[in-house]
Amino acid sequence: MRFVDEFRDPDLAEMLGARITTLCEPGRHYKIMEVCGGHTHTIYRYGVQDYLPEDIELVHGPGCPVCVIPMGRVDDAIAIAERADVILTCFGDMMRVPGGNGSFVDATARGADIRMVYSPLDALRIARQNPDREVVFYAIGFETTAPSTALTVMRAKAAGIRNFSVFCNHVTIIPAIKAILDSPDLRLDAFIGPGHVSTVIGCRPYEFIARDHGKPLVCAGFEPLDLLQSVFMIMTQFAEGRSEVENQYGRVVRWDGNLTALKVLADVFALRPYFEWRGLGSISHSALRMSDRYGDFDAELRFKVPGMRVADPKACQCGAVLKGVLKPWECKVFGTACTPEMPIGTCMVSSEGACAAYYNFGQYAKQRVHLEV
Amino acid sequence: MNTGDPAVFSEAPVSCELTDGCITCGDVAVVLTVVEASGPDARCRDDAGRTEDVATELVGAVAPGNRLLVHAGVAIERVEG
Repeated sequence: MRFVDEFRDPDLAEMLGARITTLCEPGRHYKIMEVCGGHTHTIYRYGVQDYLPEDIELVHGPGCPVCVIPMGRVDDAIAIAERADVILTCFGDMMRVPGGNGSFVDATARGADIRMVYSPLDALRIARQNPDREVVFYAIGFETTAPSTALTVMRAKAAGIRNFSVFCNHVTIIPAIKAILDSPDLRLDAFIGPGHVSTVIGCRPYEFIARDHGKPLVCAGFEPLDLLQSVFMIMTQFAEGRSEVENQYGRVVRWDGNLTALKVLADVFALRPYFEWRGLGSISHSALRMSDRYGDFDAELRFKVPGMRVADPKACQCGAVLKGVLKPWECKVFGTACTPEMPIGTCMVSSEGACAAYYNFGQYAKQRVHLEV
Repeated sequence: MNTGDPAVFSEAPVSCELTDGCITCGDVAVVLTVVEASGPDARCRDDAGRTEDVATELVGAVAPGNRLLVHAGVAIERVEG
């Protein structure tokens, strides 16, 4: 048996689904938001919703790192990449994210040197190999990814590499959850917490959600049974009248997180006073910049950045999808003008985006195809 | 063992694929097993036998057999159980 097989057992899934059903209060509708895009991907890929009673609705949250990047930040990076002395590096999903002046793929076609990397450490390697070029890493991601950027910058500083810098778009999950809790157009009952973000930040930062808002949160792993067990734990809390933070993903999530990683983050980064999130607007203290100590590695200080602000296309309803107000298929351009091949909105670009996940796997859910091992 | 730039991934077990999304930016992490530890990096292997050099500063000293949760070439936690 592979390590993951026990987390994809259809019989166990059926059994868990039945137990969850017994915990539902008759006539009550439960809305549970999975914050992380990785969870959204699992839900559609394995048809997790099919194992739940109709009274439990899974609502997709803003936790797809690519999906929340505003178009202006794409244009700013392209302005840097169009310099002849610059090599811009980024993760794969960023390549097709549309900005106001096209995507990184379009900029590459116009002559910019933009390269896809798997790790920021790969970007640092490119800097070592090209000492006469400026290598910029376009950093995106939540607290899962920010430590890898921080570690790379620390290595660059220690090695005295001067032609490497970071265009920092790292965001933090707690302010986004607060913005959702304050949103007047969304009523949620509970949260499935982001497992890998929680590996870094731990469970403690979520305690205000249970304490102040009375909503359970369970940090969850990314296999189908992880998610079903998390829903079971949430429903058990409802049945017992509790509202707490619990940890289903004990395999890797510690209550206080990874203290070494948190220390590295605090050293290399500083909080921005505000940052624009696609669909959620400007959220205070929700994103990271390079700290003064590492200011020499800040691409926004090294290069002239236009600071573009670009409105989303009118047809795009990514904002409502990111807040869980609209289901992907309720967007008026879903699957017609907006597809994974020709995305209008970011939610259709990344495979963790709710729209792309539903486009790729959702039709199977409608046919009630069950878990595949 | 990779004897060159410690940041080089000789055979990454995962990659950015435009056709199937990018697991790095999707906050997806993979469980790898340490094969050999050397300085700040460790040669690790996935269940399919593919190997990768992983930065280990964030999880402390590692030894062969340890299982690590790896994201974007960096170990972010040890795996228990």
